[in-house]
Amino acid sequence: MREFVVPQTDTRILGKIELEYAFKLTAHYDPPQESHTPRGTFRYQDIVGGELSGARVTATVYPDSGGQYDTVRADRVRDVDAHFMCKADNGEWLYMEHVGYRRTDGYYRAIAYIETSLKGAYEWMNNTTFVVTAKESADQREVVFYYYAAN
Amino acid sequence: MTAPSAGDESISRRSFLGGATTAGAVALGGLKLSQAAAESPPGSDNKALPPIWFEGPDPGNPKIGLRWAFSARVFFADRVMINTMDSPAGRGYTSVGGGDIWGPRLQGRVLPHSGADYYKTTFTTYYMLQASDGALIFIHNRGTMRRFAAPYERGKPLEPPPPPPAKQDSVWTRFRATPVFTAPLGPHDWMNHTVFVANSMRQANPDHTVFNYYEVL
Repeated sequence: MREFVVPQTDTRILGKIELEYAFKLTAHYDPPQESHTPRGTFRYQDIVGGELSGARVTATVYPDSGGQYDTVRADRVRDVDAHFMCKADNGEWLYMEHVGYRRTDGYYRAIAYIETSLKGAYEWMNNTTFVVTAKESADQREVVFYYYAAN
Repeated sequence: MTAPSAGDESISRRSFLGGATTAGAVALGGLKLSQAAAESPPGSDNKALPPIWFEGPDPGNPKIGLRWAFSARVFFADRVMINTMDSPAGRGYTSVGGGDIWGPRLQGRVLPHSGADYYKTTFTTYYMLQASDGALIFIHNRGTMRRFAAPYERGKPLEPPPPPPAKQDSVWTRFRATPVFTAPLGPHDWMNHTVFVANSMRQANPDHTVFNYYEVL
């Protein structure tokens, strides 16, 4: 391995970062289906619907547009990998991706990546980093996600 | 956060050429570090800082907070492009030379020549960190560089710069990064189940970026 000498610079300073509440999503799922794989337990859950609402956007989950494709780890934390589509009340489409963790206490912490039309009303969501917290219902059929823009 | 000069404003005031449009090393002009060099500002050493909590309008929203975990100074070596970034086939390669890591929850170094940013329109980095106890930690970092018409003000939407694209040095640029770490079991295991968000400052001469990693509480 080649070595590297860290140069002298003078940049050890924090920038500003703030979370700003953006919207919430109440998502409805079919019961989870788990299977055993070489990577551990794979947990699939179909997203059957949901309502997304906030000051700047109202949308619904497009039924059966995807779901959650988690891996249940040895420490029982779930690696969350979710993909689905939402349709806003003006007809525009939103692609939603969640990456994060569902902890053993039922709470989620995740990052949401959202893509939508560059020319549409929700262009502000493109490349905005959303930090997500969520709580799963006891039967795991409903999850309420709260999205905060990392401004 | 008593170093307002270190915020997004100071990034944007510099003449900035995005990695999305340049293949060679970027020369940034007029880098003023005198304000930042004031005695040991918060985040300049391993001393923990208090968490910051944020709430939504509905009292039922779960609390969410950010707490500075560590920072990494990453120095870049090669900057290469496959096609150009205005093409769907555009792919950048910016290799990691090395760097260092400090902060309350992780100290160590960026493992020299251990990976790169293989970006498309958003950055996508894969490289290795090495903690001061020798542990190897894999970082997969996704993130954005965005340009806006005006600096961020709480409660006001961030509007993109008006077309035709404004001059690079006249728009407000911010980085946000969202790393996923894979750490060995042991003292760094917390990184395997913690969500992070980072802001960062890109600087030149030498070509490097300081990433400040916050754990989402």
